[in-house]
Amino acid sequence: METKYSVIGKPTGNVDGMAKTTGEGKYTFDMYLPNMLYGKHVRSPYPHAKIISIDASEALKLPGVKAVITGKDVPGGKWGLWRRFRELCDQIALADDKVRFIGEPVAAVAATTKDIAAKAVELVKVEYEILPGVFDPLEAIKDDAPLIHEDFENNINATRHIEWGNVDEGFKQADYVREDKFTLFPQAVVSMEVHNSLASYDKGTGKLTIWSSTQSPYYLQLGLADALKMREGDIRVIKPHVGGGYGGKNSTMPDATTAALLSMKTGRPVKVVFNREEEFTTTEHRMGLHLAIKIGLKKDGTILARECKIITDGGAYTGLGATALYLAGIFQTFPYKIPNWRYDAFRTYTNKVWATSVRGFGAVPTVYAAEVQLDRAAKEMGIDPLAIRRKNLMEPGYEAPGQYKVESCGIVPCVDKMAERIKEKWPKLEKDEGIGYAGFAYMSGGIFNWIDTPYAYSGARVQVNIDGSVDLFTQAADIGQGHNTVAVMICAEELGIGIEDIRLHPGDTATAPVDLGAWGSRETLMNGNAIKMAAGQVKQKLVDLARAKLGENIAYDLVCREKRIYLELRPERGYSYYEMVEAAIKLNDGEPLIGTGHYTPHNKGMISPAYGMGIMAMKAKVDRETGLVEAKDVLIVHDCGQVINPLGARGQVEGSVHMGLGYALTEEMPNDNGLVLNPSINDYKIIRQRDMPQIELLDVPTYDPSGPFGAKEAAEATISPTAPALANAVFDACGAEFDSNCLKPERVLKAIREAEKNQKNKAKAKK
Amino acid sequence: MKQELKFKVNGEERELWIDPKTLLVEVLREELGLTGTHWSCDTGACCCCTVNVDGMAVKSCSMLAMQAYGREVTTIEGLADGPTLHPLQQAFIDNWAFQCGFCTSGQIMAANALLNENPSPTREQIQLQLDGHICRCTGYNMIQEAIQDAAKRLQKSKV
Amino acid sequence: MKNITNSFEYFSPKTLEEALKLVSQFDKEGKDFKVVAGGQSINLVMKQGVIAPEAVISIKGLSDMDYVKFDEKAGLKIGALATHRAIERSSVVEKKFGVLAEMEHNLSSVETRNWGTVAGNICHGDPGGDVAPVLIVLNANVKMAGVKGERTVPAEDFTLDFYETALAHDELVTEIQIPTVPPNTGVAYTKFSQVVGDFALASVAVAITLDSKKDICSDVRIGLGSVAATPLRAKKAEEILRGKKITDDLLAKAAQAAMDESDPTDSVDASGEYKRELVGVFVKRVGKEALERAKKA
Ligand SMILES: Cc1cc2nc3c(=O)[nH]c(=O)nc-3n(C[C@H](O)[C@H](O)[C@H](O)COP(=O)(O)OP(=O)(O)OC[C@H]3O[C@@H](n4cnc5c(N)ncnc54)[C@H](O)[C@@H]3O)c2cc1C
Repeated sequence: METKYSVIGKPTGNVDGMAKTTGEGKYTFDMYLPNMLYGKHVRSPYPHAKIISIDASEALKLPGVKAVITGKDVPGGKWGLWRRFRELCDQIALADDKVRFIGEPVAAVAATTKDIAAKAVELVKVEYEILPGVFDPLEAIKDDAPLIHEDFENNINATRHIEWGNVDEGFKQADYVREDKFTLFPQAVVSMEVHNSLASYDKGTGKLTIWSSTQSPYYLQLGLADALKMREGDIRVIKPHVGGGYGGKNSTMPDATTAALLSMKTGRPVKVVFNREEEFTTTEHRMGLHLAIKIGLKKDGTILARECKIITDGGAYTGLGATALYLAGIFQTFPYKIPNWRYDAFRTYTNKVWATSVRGFGAVPTVYAAEVQLDRAAKEMGIDPLAIRRKNLMEPGYEAPGQYKVESCGIVPCVDKMAERIKEKWPKLEKDEGIGYAGFAYMSGGIFNWIDTPYAYSGARVQVNIDGSVDLFTQAADIGQGHNTVAVMICAEELGIGIEDIRLHPGDTATAPVDLGAWGSRETLMNGNAIKMAAGQVKQKLVDLARAKLGENIAYDLVCREKRIYLELRPERGYSYYEMVEAAIKLNDGEPLIGTGHYTPHNKGMISPAYGMGIMAMKAKVDRETGLVEAKDVLIVHDCGQVINPLGARGQVEGSVHMGLGYALTEEMPNDNGLVLNPSINDYKIIRQRDMPQIELLDVPTYDPSGPFGAKEAAEATISPTAPALANAVFDACGAEFDSNCLKPERVLKAIREAEKNQKNKAKAKK
Repeated sequence: MKQELKFKVNGEERELWIDPKTLLVEVLREELGLTGTHWSCDTGACCCCTVNVDGMAVKSCSMLAMQAYGREVTTIEGLADGPTLHPLQQAFIDNWAFQCGFCTSGQIMAANALLNENPSPTREQIQLQLDGHICRCTGYNMIQEAIQDAAKRLQKSKV
Repeated sequence: MKNITNSFEYFSPKTLEEALKLVSQFDKEGKDFKVVAGGQSINLVMKQGVIAPEAVISIKGLSDMDYVKFDEKAGLKIGALATHRAIERSSVVEKKFGVLAEMEHNLSSVETRNWGTVAGNICHGDPGGDVAPVLIVLNANVKMAGVKGERTVPAEDFTLDFYETALAHDELVTEIQIPTVPPNTGVAYTKFSQVVGDFALASVAVAITLDSKKDICSDVRIGLGSVAATPLRAKKAEEILRGKKITDDLLAKAAQAAMDESDPTDSVDASGEYKRELVGVFVKRVGKEALERAKKA
């Protein structure tokens, strides 16, 4: 396709490629400083208990042990990401009065070797008074349930009520109404790089430097400032390469706070690295929840009303769980027009690790319920599942009152393209195969400001040097999604140069403008806008200078492309980029050309400036004797605005489907009174190579006015439809219905038998 | 009691004294500074830490370093020829075969062992060889494409 | 990350004789020692701190024990240090004992198979292992040696309980012996796991020998994995088939008998009840496959 762009839209290899394929690139995990100590946590074996006493004397006697800290050594108060609502800042570095989940840190040691640290941990004696625990949200809200946080009545951590239209009236007018109940299980994050941090405190200046595996250097800086009672500016966070985040590395976690506290106490660099069991048992995950959903439709399949109630298993702290609660409601309405909608949600505290943002942030469990219910309704009403979706799709300009407005919106052509392609792709199904559909949409970054930042949501600074090389500074976080590549592509496109001309300086709070980090699929749109703005400022200087030198009519437009600045309509008239840069710097009294960009969305509703969307079809096969489900093939038609890097966009989709399939089929965290029963990669099953289907990805290009060059989300959206598309395919194949995710063979076999029984009963009733 | 470990790492003879309980991954990362070999699952179940021992793909987290005595170990750092990337490395970059990159060293080293014995593997053979490698980012398809691409490049370079 | 935290003395004998001497000496001294072959299982146990031996005897270097040999009379001999990978890629194995290679394709990862040994697999005594059920139906024997001498036990008697084997503390497994597969015999193995290559929820191996007319089942062996405290031979199920013409109905009866013989427990992934059902399904399916193969043999 002929485009007006010379950089964006072209498949571009990862700019971190050399670092990541040679082993030269450093993750926090790979960093060791001279004289460094190893920190390790003493953790609670109980889900809910008072700490009576902690005796570290034996541990301190062990040669090589340099410090033991407990809750008493934490100078700051509680912290959290919901800084705008201080009561929701409930996290603590080390428990001082009581513990609220198994594995909560109560003390930490610093020692000269890992082995000594591990031995010292065993020597710290902690005396507990065991308290009754509560492990299910429906139990947690009972009046006689033990309170996990004293100030939160009935253990209710957060609530949401959203409503538009007239829901009761909608149901009254409906020809068909059905209600379903679901229980959705939590999903573990399982980043391949565990949580880890390396802190180095400078006693002389009182300043702290910390390298950490984080999704947001800025959030970590704020979290540490609260926990350590320090000025944020005295804390420098550096984010090296990050081995995956998926939502699980937004919160400030004890790896960071403890490394910092121990470094401050010992005056030596301290590294804290979680092991895999600690990852599974003490770090954040996707929320589990109970859900009731009701839908009302007209005979022709038009949705008139929907009502959804959820109560989530929040775990011991807030994290980003309160936001997930909101998004769980909102994204369940996409990509459909639902004229009357009501949502009531409760997040409860329980004695487990807490639930937070995880890939698909909030949307995944509720989209599952909505899309699965839609198929059940379609079947009973005798409507084709793709047709019922087609009937209700959003259109450009669609507005959900008081919540969001959708500007670019390619979902209608997406579904039409799907209908066409599916006929050629899967003309015939084999025995016990089925096809399932699910629609999806997701935000291009959130508008919410719970962190309460006075800064812009995204910032970037561009410096053009005398030789035309560019230094690009931003705190935006590449955690694997490929934003570093997107960032330099946008900068290069705007300046009309190549990506090889740019040196990116990402993820350092001391040198780069603030960016809120990598969550909610935000970096391309938000950071992309900031970069485009920063580069645009410099570009303007170059264009102005060229115009002046050319002495051209003011009405002529100049462009920067392929390292030249020239008249758009008369390309032969212009100057080289290098020439103009040199001239501009000389004119500037020798100062390099600096451009700054800051982006904060305004007048874009409550959720996001733009929404990526589309439709997924999944072909699956069921083994009726064992219940084994095989995901055979996937087709996705996707509208993500102007694609910046097609390789990166495809990578995000492939990865989302993979994690979504885990949610659909294999990933579950059974819990027994607060104890995670499968805390290892052997027992927590992740989809492997031979289980992964091929994915065909078709694009429906749109242009979103809010995004840089019209770009929007191409990241998390495709996780949400994966599990419902799979469940719907199984439903199509054999009529089995599921009231949960994670279609393990035993569950499927039960559901098949249930379906067979129901079909027999129905047949009997007909006779 | 420390014991002597003599082996070859990325073509260089190495002699060091280690506590025999040390795992190969610890020697590589903590004694030799070869941090390109990562370590992720603790239970031998993710193959993130794969290196080549006498040309075979082996998990360095599940092997006592002493068992490498007299053998030849190749890590991700030993793959490129000076500044020239190995075709596998280049193909991984060009095909977007990694995202966070943390499992990449292991994937590439397993692929290297495969291509050394089977210069043009089918998709199924690649899946079989790399099946133990867990990746949370890519969904594997683009990794398999990259390995096939690398196989083509390698064959071209040999012609 | 988890490493091995306790230190131990390390010995790496070069010959079987040296190894046996060390084993017997430590045994007499009452020294807490552990034999490590590939370490794929046992290193993990040490990392978890479940055992903390004073001494480790690495037998990985016993190159005289690293072999896979075959002759028609003696059958297949797998030395104690032969890796899974050696079996998987041996051309003799592929030709004469194809089921072993098939079994290996789905055993963990290439990495585990490259370093882990077949003998180590059975010595670990994991009831969920893939090797034992196949050895049982192939009528294999396990040869063990101590300073006092050698002895051999049938594979079906080798595992005694969860992670407990017939091996004495001062003995080593030296060889696994598999007789040549009789004519008109078909052998098949399937493990059922939700994720390919994972440990089995249940696994079934079947060997069927047909009479010269390829009509009547003259002999049959059925091995089960993951559904009891040890790998199991389903003798009652075999009885139903032996001497009969195998039909779908008969296989269904045998499947029921095998279900009754198995004694699976609940685990995180599945209930014991479900695993028992799997035994039924796979005795039928694998039995059918073995029968087809026997007809073609
Ligand atoms: C992630 C993972 C997945 C796995 N999946 C599977 C699977 O799906 N199916 C399966 O069957 N197995 C599986 N395994 C187990 C694997 O097959 C075994 O770990 C391997 O075969 C053990 O061999 P080894 O040489 O490494 O034994 P080691 O770990 O060295 O030893 C195991 C035990 O046997 C003893 N031992 C070893 N050799 C001898 C000998 N010659 N004489 C006496 N004692 C000896 C040791 O003392 C030790 O107690 C898996 C392992 C891992 C780590």
